[in-house]
Amino acid sequence: MSAGVVITGRGVVSSIGEGADAFVDALMERRSGIVDGAGRAEAFDPEVTMTPKEARRSDRFSQFALAAADQAVAEAGLPDGVEPERLGVLMGTGVGGLETLEREVRNFIERGDRAVSPLFVPMMMPNAAAAHIAMRYDAHGPGFSIASACATGGHAIGEAVRMIVRGEADVVIAGGTEAPMTDICLAAFRRMGALSREGVSRPFDARRDGFVMGEGAGVLILEAEEHARARGVHVRARVVGYGASNDAFHITAPDEDGRGATQAMRAAISDAGAAPDDVGYLNAHGTSTPFNDRIEALAAHNVFGEAPPPISSTKSAIGHLLGAAGAVEAVATVGALERGLLPPTLNYEEPDPECDVDCVPDGPRESPGLELALSNSFGFGGQNACVAFARA
Amino acid sequence: MDEGQVLELVRGKLDEIKVENAASATMDTTWEELDVDSLDLVELVQSLEDEYGVRIEDEKLKEVKTVGDAVRLVIAEAGAAA
Repeated sequence: MSAGVVITGRGVVSSIGEGADAFVDALMERRSGIVDGAGRAEAFDPEVTMTPKEARRSDRFSQFALAAADQAVAEAGLPDGVEPERLGVLMGTGVGGLETLEREVRNFIERGDRAVSPLFVPMMMPNAAAAHIAMRYDAHGPGFSIASACATGGHAIGEAVRMIVRGEADVVIAGGTEAPMTDICLAAFRRMGALSREGVSRPFDARRDGFVMGEGAGVLILEAEEHARARGVHVRARVVGYGASNDAFHITAPDEDGRGATQAMRAAISDAGAAPDDVGYLNAHGTSTPFNDRIEALAAHNVFGEAPPPISSTKSAIGHLLGAAGAVEAVATVGALERGLLPPTLNYEEPDPECDVDCVPDGPRESPGLELALSNSFGFGGQNACVAFARA
Repeated sequence: MDEGQVLELVRGKLDEIKVENAASATMDTTWEELDVDSLDLVELVQSLEDEYGVRIEDEKLKEVKTVGDAVRLVIAEAGAAA
């Protein structure tokens, strides 16, 4: 990656807290947000950041995004200090406004076309979150959504970094958001056999039986290094590499040899101008599905050889946030670099010989020399993203 | 059905869709003053249609610039339907 891109703001909405510091604290305190088999953002109140009318006209996924963006923008001391035309927004979602979709389809079937709300499309459309953020902060630079199912957050950050590297923006508000806790969405993932029947997220454990659904949003303020330096704002970490790949294998199952995951990690390390040995921590995709964790562990061995670096899964604490996962996990990874502390994998007790990785079950674990960390995101469709972060 | 009753109902419907200052709307208040856009207007009309069992064609909304325009339109449509 030729130009320097740094992180100057962070925002999180999750089941274990709102605000990046509260979220990272909770991770390091081994707190779980999973209650009755789901990681709901119970305490979330959209009207903290939106007027009642704005909240009413936004799907929950947009509300999460705006709340997380508000925290991140405040931390970065923006939007003052950036030209509106040089401020971009890239906010992804895996499934968009499902709550709205479900309600309006019901209205249509039960009461006909005149019962369909004029707010249906503007609330449901996946780019609504990015649009609300742009309107709030007068961001006139490039703005859109991105979708790669559960890899969305990783792709959003990686592509936003490239937007800055290409010179299209000085600052990009980037991340992912998801509000997938609707009856039909839960039923659909259950029917696929992807959800844990037990309702426990235990990545890399031999007893894992699927993922636990979570909800929330993660946002990073990505900024050209020179721009950040000129503003004199605190730099929390750097984004130094990004790799994206396709399994081109199956619409839901990962490639048996971990080809796409391996390729994404290698590309991110190479983009960072680093070697595999330089990586001190890997924030796993780590969904707790039998397939993902086995293949991700295999891919880690492909990349790192006999002894991969410590690999922990944020999803053990908050569940799987689909399109928001990679963005929230990026905040966790930045937290690990800032604190020199590796977050744990919760609920890990029974090793699986097919997942031969050190998943930091004893964590948080001190890692004072941590300089370079990766965050993996793999999506249905076989689309993979890996982002490399470095200490500021 | 008189204007006062319908006005009161319109205020209530505007409040339901979270329009600020809905309670203080008068017959002369414009949508602009209430920050009501075309999406709000369709929602308002939807709920008025349900309330009074009338159907207001979309092209008639172009002439509806004030709260009073909406009140008078509903009364006219309800009268025509009766």
